[in-house]
Amino acid sequence: MPAWQDFEPFIVSGLALGGVYALSGVGLVVLYRATGVLYLAFGAVGAMGALIAWSMSHAGLPGWAGWVVCVAFGGLVTLGYGMVFGPLLAQRDPLVKAVATLGLTLILFGAMDLLWTTGGGQSRAITLPTDSGGFTVGQVQVNWTQVIALGAGVALTVGTAAFLRFTKLGTAMRAMANDRVITATLGVPVRRVEAAAWLGCGILAGVAGLLLADLVALDATTLTFLVISSLAAALIARLRSIAVTFAAAIAVGLIHDLLTPITALTNYRDMTPFVLAIVALLVMSPRRIMTRSREEA
Amino acid sequence: MAGAPGQLLRPRQAVEPGRGLRRDQLIRPAVIAVLLLFTLFGLPSLLSLYYIDTMTQVAIYSVVTLGLGVLVGRVGLFSLGQGAVLAIGAWSGARLLFATGQPFPLVLVEAGLVTMVIGMVIGLPALRLRGLYLALITLMLAGAITVVLASTNFPNGGGGFLGYNGSSVHIPPIRRPSIASGDPAYFRYCVVIAIVMFGLVFAHIRTRPGRAWAAIRQSEPAALAAGINTTFYKLWAFALASFVTGVAGAALAGADRYLYSIDFTTQDSITLMAVVLMGGAYSMWGAVVAAFLLEFLPALLNNWGVSADWLYILFGLGVLQVLTTAPAGLADQVPKDLRRLWRLARRLFSRPASRPAVPAGGDAE
Repeated sequence: MPAWQDFEPFIVSGLALGGVYALSGVGLVVLYRATGVLYLAFGAVGAMGALIAWSMSHAGLPGWAGWVVCVAFGGLVTLGYGMVFGPLLAQRDPLVKAVATLGLTLILFGAMDLLWTTGGGQSRAITLPTDSGGFTVGQVQVNWTQVIALGAGVALTVGTAAFLRFTKLGTAMRAMANDRVITATLGVPVRRVEAAAWLGCGILAGVAGLLLADLVALDATTLTFLVISSLAAALIARLRSIAVTFAAAIAVGLIHDLLTPITALTNYRDMTPFVLAIVALLVMSPRRIMTRSREEA
Repeated sequence: MAGAPGQLLRPRQAVEPGRGLRRDQLIRPAVIAVLLLFTLFGLPSLLSLYYIDTMTQVAIYSVVTLGLGVLVGRVGLFSLGQGAVLAIGAWSGARLLFATGQPFPLVLVEAGLVTMVIGMVIGLPALRLRGLYLALITLMLAGAITVVLASTNFPNGGGGFLGYNGSSVHIPPIRRPSIASGDPAYFRYCVVIAIVMFGLVFAHIRTRPGRAWAAIRQSEPAALAAGINTTFYKLWAFALASFVTGVAGAALAGADRYLYSIDFTTQDSITLMAVVLMGGAYSMWGAVVAAFLLEFLPALLNNWGVSADWLYILFGLGVLQVLTTAPAGLADQVPKDLRRLWRLARRLFSRPASRPAVPAGGDAE
């Protein structure tokens, strides 16, 4: 068993990773509750945004332009997908809606492999200016990107909770999460509320892609399928509670990174989100109610 | 399916269903028999070694897509973890082939049974979940299994339970059956395996489990009310799909001869789902179409010097198209479109004025 000092740096990186997972997880849960779509292309959109940002900074453009484009790309692609396929699939099963976003994932994934070829072994990296600055806690170096990642996760969770609770749009989203048809009958502009949810989720995808490209790696495959890990947190919360999603995301990030120094388990640390999600799904799965024709959480 | 009511209203089919059925029953097996005989005896001599290898992969993967097609199309269980199940089958097959001198068919069955047991152990708790959650938990399981395989590696003739020797210089290839050591012979061998597996699944679909699955797919509460043990039959479907996928995995071990864990990724499971939906999950032809999409197209593009990444884009578009407009996939859509085209052509060329144009529009979906 490694000494306590060996774990310390991983607490910091784990919290940062957990923060980004929280960011992604909360985005996924809000979109799912508002539109019924589990957006599995979240990671791919973020990855492509990050690659565009990398290309722009590589071409000599200022870094901030790339970040803005990355976030805008996430928002626009997601909004576009939601506007086209949201209505087309509105009456279908949540499962079909989720599988359809896998179609978008594959399209983006193929485009990324075509445009940013991985051959030649060159590795790309996004360095945010916040990487260099930082401070030390005890003996552990903390950089500002890690602070931003955790801070973004916290701020977003609190902000989203407040938004859903206190604003008109947020109330409309909560109403739609309960019952879409009744909400529409009450005069809520369902399409517009959905568009807002899509746009918000897409912007989060862009932010998460940028942060993960810096914290983990700028690689199409890694980032695309990292959505599965952030999905774990959302699943532990049964795609319902934002607070539970946040806590689960922090736990997943922490446990993942804290396993790194343990030699026996370090190879298996990538299983953390999957194992936690599987256990949570199985333990917490409620008794099924057969009388409901609609699949409800 | 939007086409069905329109077809029911068409008088000619409604009046003489008997004749159509009888003709269908004769022609279909005949076409299948001719196709199979050609595949077994004609095709290998026509193809280059490159395409024989490709067709071997197509034959093997048609069994994998068949297994997933049963789950998706017959029972309505969306599993996003079939790529991992295939990897388990390939691992077990390779381990058994290195460890024992048993005849190849026996190893195939054993690998299938091992995969089936693992699939059922995984499947039993997973089947408590439905719909979206089942798809997601299988995706999570696929991710977890991929991580395990990345660190255990595939057997390469080493000792111990894992059979992996990280430092060995001379890695022996995974053996093939003595009657099918060459590539054309192994192709035929795999086609025969595929035929047997298709037969096995066909027998299931045509009998009691198939009817139970159809009931479950339509409505699980209704199936339960009709006295069908839904958990049992869903588990049966899982077991059958795992078994055929495991057999395919062992056949894949023999085809590839060297297995590496980087070749089995989580996105494989997603691509598998995409091609199964595109090919058509509701018919067995769909499984063959899906296998061609998955294995033949990349080889073709590779031969033409086109990047296989275009296929991801194609598959992505295909999934969106299938889910929005053509739920039964290519295996259903292409014949339907061809029939429609034929009717249109006949109408255009023979009797342009004999039919009004308005009801013809009713055929279009």
